[in-house]
Amino acid sequence: MSIAAAVLEALRAETTNHSGARVARAGLRIGELSGVEPESLRFCLETLVSGSDLDPLAFDFELCPWTRRCRACGATFRVVEWNPACPTCGSPNTEAAGGDQMELTYLELEEP
Amino acid sequence: MRVPLERKVLNENDRLAATLRERFQNHGVFCLNLISSPGSGKTSLLERTLEGFGPERRIAVLTGDIQTDNDARRLQHFGFPVRQITTGGACHLDARMVERALEGWPVEDLEILFLENVGNLVCPTSYDLGEDARAVLLSVTEGEDKPLKYPATFHHADLMVLNKIDLLPYVPFQAEVAKENARRVQPGIEILDVSCTTGEGLDRWRAWLDRHL
Repeated sequence: MSIAAAVLEALRAETTNHSGARVARAGLRIGELSGVEPESLRFCLETLVSGSDLDPLAFDFELCPWTRRCRACGATFRVVEWNPACPTCGSPNTEAAGGDQMELTYLELEEP
Repeated sequence: MRVPLERKVLNENDRLAATLRERFQNHGVFCLNLISSPGSGKTSLLERTLEGFGPERRIAVLTGDIQTDNDARRLQHFGFPVRQITTGGACHLDARMVERALEGWPVEDLEILFLENVGNLVCPTSYDLGEDARAVLLSVTEGEDKPLKYPATFHHADLMVLNKIDLLPYVPFQAEVAKENARRVQPGIEILDVSCTTGEGLDRWRAWLDRHL
């Protein structure tokens, strides 16, 4: 719920640059390793928006996979079944490359 | 009209955390964020840790709970400064709570600042508190698949403390499987076996702390 509140706070902060416009839709990018369950976040957002000055407001979720990069061959790959080894060359020498995103990616504004 | 953005949702928290981190690093304070499920032994580990430090050590603890100041009471006996953060419902600490709790404290004089997070393996993960390192506790009375069930938490941890190892003969917990699971999620994770009850492994834990000062 506090993540949902932070989303709305970020959204309000961004709209102050567009005074008078109302937000009809917002894009969110959520990584598999962000610690956020997208459906729970959607539920919390809908609960907070409902009946508020932001209502109606729709959200688009873009889900980002957990990825790692191979230090041996350079390939970036999606982690499947928690396996950190590179599927291309088999090297266990890999580093984190993505999956912890929690970002506001766009706002769709309606001018008054 | 569509306005493209690249704004982190927790950008305000991250900004505050960066300020805290800079403050800690400028004064040589090692700040450790302790995360685990309720009951894995965060407060017990801190009790045993504080007990082992002489009065010349400059250690302090902020401990977070949804309600009660029981943990702060438990930790106050050792003569080190302890403050309770009562979140009043929030299931994690955030950088603002830490900043407020540090008001008026001689943070600059500390060697180690422990941040005992609210017992929860999910929400604390997303909130940077300005710590230098993050330790996750797992106890042998839990499931060895917890690193797989809560990968985000273990993925962001520098250290896993496997606690209650004195109970291993009495529970079906397979320690090697738990460690392998943690390493699959976070290949670089360090792992320490401890028992806060018998004291086993606490010397290695203290050495780990000292290595970071």
